[in-house]
Amino acid sequence: MLFKESLISAISSIRSNSIRSFLTSLAIIIGTAAVIAVIGIGSSAEKALEASIDDLGGRTLYVAPGQNRRGAVTKGIIPLDIKDAEALAKFKNHNWEISPTITRNRQVKLGNANINQRIGAYLPIHFDVRGYELELGRLFNEDDNLGRKRVVVVGSKIPSELKTGAKNLLNKEILIAGTSYKVIGILKEEGSTGWQNPDEELYIPLLTGAQRVFGTQNVDSINVGISNDVNVDEIMMSIEQILRAKHDIGPGQDNDFRISDYSQFSDLRRQATGIFTLLIAAIAGISLVVGGIGVMNIMLVSVTERTREIGLRKALGATHKAIMLQFIVEAVLLCVIGGLIGLAFGTFILWITATLFDWPFALPFGAMVGSITFSALVGLFFGIWPARKAAKLDPATSLRYE
Amino acid sequence: MIILKDIKKEFQLGQQKVKALKGINLEVDKNDFVSIMGPSGSGKTTLMNIVGCLDTPSSGNYYLNNQLVSELDEDSLARIRNKEIGFVFQSFHLLAKNSALDNVLLPMKYAGTDINEATERAKYILEQVGLSDRINHGPSELSGGQQQRVAIARALVNKPSILFADEPTGNLDSKTGDDVMNLFKELNEEGQTIILITHEEDIAKQSRRIINIKDGLIESDTKI
Repeated sequence: MLFKESLISAISSIRSNSIRSFLTSLAIIIGTAAVIAVIGIGSSAEKALEASIDDLGGRTLYVAPGQNRRGAVTKGIIPLDIKDAEALAKFKNHNWEISPTITRNRQVKLGNANINQRIGAYLPIHFDVRGYELELGRLFNEDDNLGRKRVVVVGSKIPSELKTGAKNLLNKEILIAGTSYKVIGILKEEGSTGWQNPDEELYIPLLTGAQRVFGTQNVDSINVGISNDVNVDEIMMSIEQILRAKHDIGPGQDNDFRISDYSQFSDLRRQATGIFTLLIAAIAGISLVVGGIGVMNIMLVSVTERTREIGLRKALGATHKAIMLQFIVEAVLLCVIGGLIGLAFGTFILWITATLFDWPFALPFGAMVGSITFSALVGLFFGIWPARKAAKLDPATSLRYE
Repeated sequence: MIILKDIKKEFQLGQQKVKALKGINLEVDKNDFVSIMGPSGSGKTTLMNIVGCLDTPSSGNYYLNNQLVSELDEDSLARIRNKEIGFVFQSFHLLAKNSALDNVLLPMKYAGTDINEATERAKYILEQVGLSDRINHGPSELSGGQQQRVAIARALVNKPSILFADEPTGNLDSKTGDDVMNLFKELNEEGQTIILITHEEDIAKQSRRIINIKDGLIESDTKI
């Protein structure tokens, strides 16, 4: 009953000073909104990132040519070639998928349509490694590769770039750098992964590309597909050993190639996002504490203003505890109401942002419960001093306070 | 019922020690109706604060219903104020945002009375003071006399041993003041002990006993 009385008195006091109450809880509102928005946006962004990483399929290491340095002199780039890839493929100790690539832009023609497009030469397993799926026709196979056949699989946006439909394009001959290639397959739409768009690429067998289109045995990079449960360091060590032997690199000399880990990159990105989120949330938390100081300030003013009321309540039999309760409930309520308004506001910001960036929208329940609890604790903590001040007032003098 | 033995009260006012009460000896029996009179600065307010358990004496013993209250702690005094003493003030001291009913309910809330029982009793007592049609009105919607009657209802609702009235007619015109005094007389006839603080001779004369305070001492104590 006493608690209910305190609650009623708190609501009536907050309502009768509504503008002052709003301004007081503004810092709490902003703080809570910031916590909810930042943590929510952070986790939405992470989910979006995870979704795009899942698109890449398992885990891919990336081997690229590096610089050949002897002492301080750089002697240009020593390329990786198809034989390097074959050497890796022959090594059967690891269950890895070796996928070398050569990509260049070339003219592509069909009838009047003439576009400059990215042509990628790959082994047949490339589609597997990347998890690309077929919409129409077939993928090229090892026979096509070894026979250096003039066949091409195209990304989903290529038919429209060539001003035709997917069904029309299938089995048509198109000109790549002046030579005729048969379109044997069209891929499903994959979506951009950030650094390249697989939907706007044309895929030809590696050996076809090396011999007929690009006239080079040098590859741009070798993708090494591995499953998620293997020891990445061990794999990297094996790659290094094989390539160093192949390139005749003596002890003490630097590698002339680079091995990088895509997922390491996304781990870093995730870590950075996490740190950033934490930082902003901490700043927002500080804003909540500052808001608490504001609440304390106003509560102290309120205690002074209501000295006579406190005196009267004491004369009518309110104990120390009853007066404490009344003012603490008021401070906590002020903070919790601010927290709830901030919660609604922050959720709104989160929803707008997620919609704008096309990220998955999920309510950050942990942050919601956490920030409301924190607001209540702020109210409790900063309400104690004013409440004690009120409870300690002398009834006889407070009754005569003007 | 009330026994004061050599009650002294000193205040520290800046560098100076002020002796507000210099040794008060007083007994008030059950069912008495006492007026305490005295010029301002005489110590009558300090005396009322002590007898009303709003303050404690510097020395001396105060027995209320055979209980030594001058040595009780804060919360015990709060309980005594709640159960044994009803206050009526010159400026009414109603909670401005609460209805008459809520104002009367307040002492019972602090007493922990069941809400249904409390509401029953509050309505009954508001009816007794003639405000049954005003129970949901706020103080701003009530006249001065009505506000003071709400305050009297609030003071009586926990059936206190003593009803304290500090200049209860001071803010009222003479007609409503008379009404309030008549209500007090009625209550006293029904057995309520009343202590009245006033500086008005006419008001004091309506009680049964007049005590004059001067310079912190009882100057005279007259039965009427």
